Amino acid sequence: MEMFLMGLCMSVFGLGIAAVAFGAATRSESSDSAVQPELPLVKAVAPARFFSDRVAAPPAVPVAVSPRQVPIEVLLLQIENHVRMEQAAAESFLAFPTQAMLHSKTTSPFVN
Amino acid sequence: MTHELLNGLSSAEVEQVRKLGTRLIVPSGTSLFRLGDPADRLFLIERGRIRLTLPMQVRGREEDILVEERSPGQTVGWSALIPPYRFTLTATAPLFEAEVIALPREPLRQYFAANPAAGHKIALNLAVVIGHRLQLFQTMWLREMQRTVEVRSA
Repeated sequence: MEMFLMGLCMSVFGLGIAAVAFGAATRSESSDSAVQPELPLVKAVAPARFFSDRVAAPPAVPVAVSPRQVPIEVLLLQIENHVRMEQAAAESFLAFPTQAMLHSKTTSPFVN
Repeated sequence: MTHELLNGLSSAEVEQVRKLGTRLIVPSGTSLFRLGDPADRLFLIERGRIRLTLPMQVRGREEDILVEERSPGQTVGWSALIPPYRFTLTATAPLFEAEVIALPREPLRQYFAANPAAGHKIALNLAVVIGHRLQLFQTMWLREMQRTVEVRSA
């Protein structure tokens, strides 16, 4: 009988400890979540790709192309075409010299 | 082929002048003469085209900028007859090889002295070539100046 009572007491005591431990565990979880700062929204992750498509993505704001960015080969070609057009205009003036011919406007893209 | 420099000469005179020269092949992309070189020969173009260029600074790089392109029958390198006998442009064969007759100054002068009538005709033809270049560039310069004036006064 004594043995039975001792076992019963030990069981009740163990159950009490387990209940206290469970309560403590659940309390700490809820308090942690209460003080946890709000996480920023995470963007949807694109599926992984071997080649990044970041380069191909168009810029948000269109960037104006300055003349400085024209490749030098293109610039040289523009200069050469301009010289040819101006020479043709000068030849026309020499063939039929008038003030209007002398000051005729060029359509050369290099100066327009 | 009739060369602008030999206009008005008899066929015998043309032949005599041509015999003073040497045929040269100018491979594509190579220079016949360069700016500042001593000019002791002038050239009659027989075949192909010759580009005449001047150096220009473009974005900190020196680039040869086209000034004029000459074709068969035309003359390049007349600095050989005008003091101080230095080329003032660079001449190159652009895409395809060119063929020219190189006429050296001294034999040409001796020929002029021995054949003054032919020499006179050649000198007049040369005056036409030089005069045309002068008028052309005078016009081009004025048009560029006019544009500069318009931009500045706008």
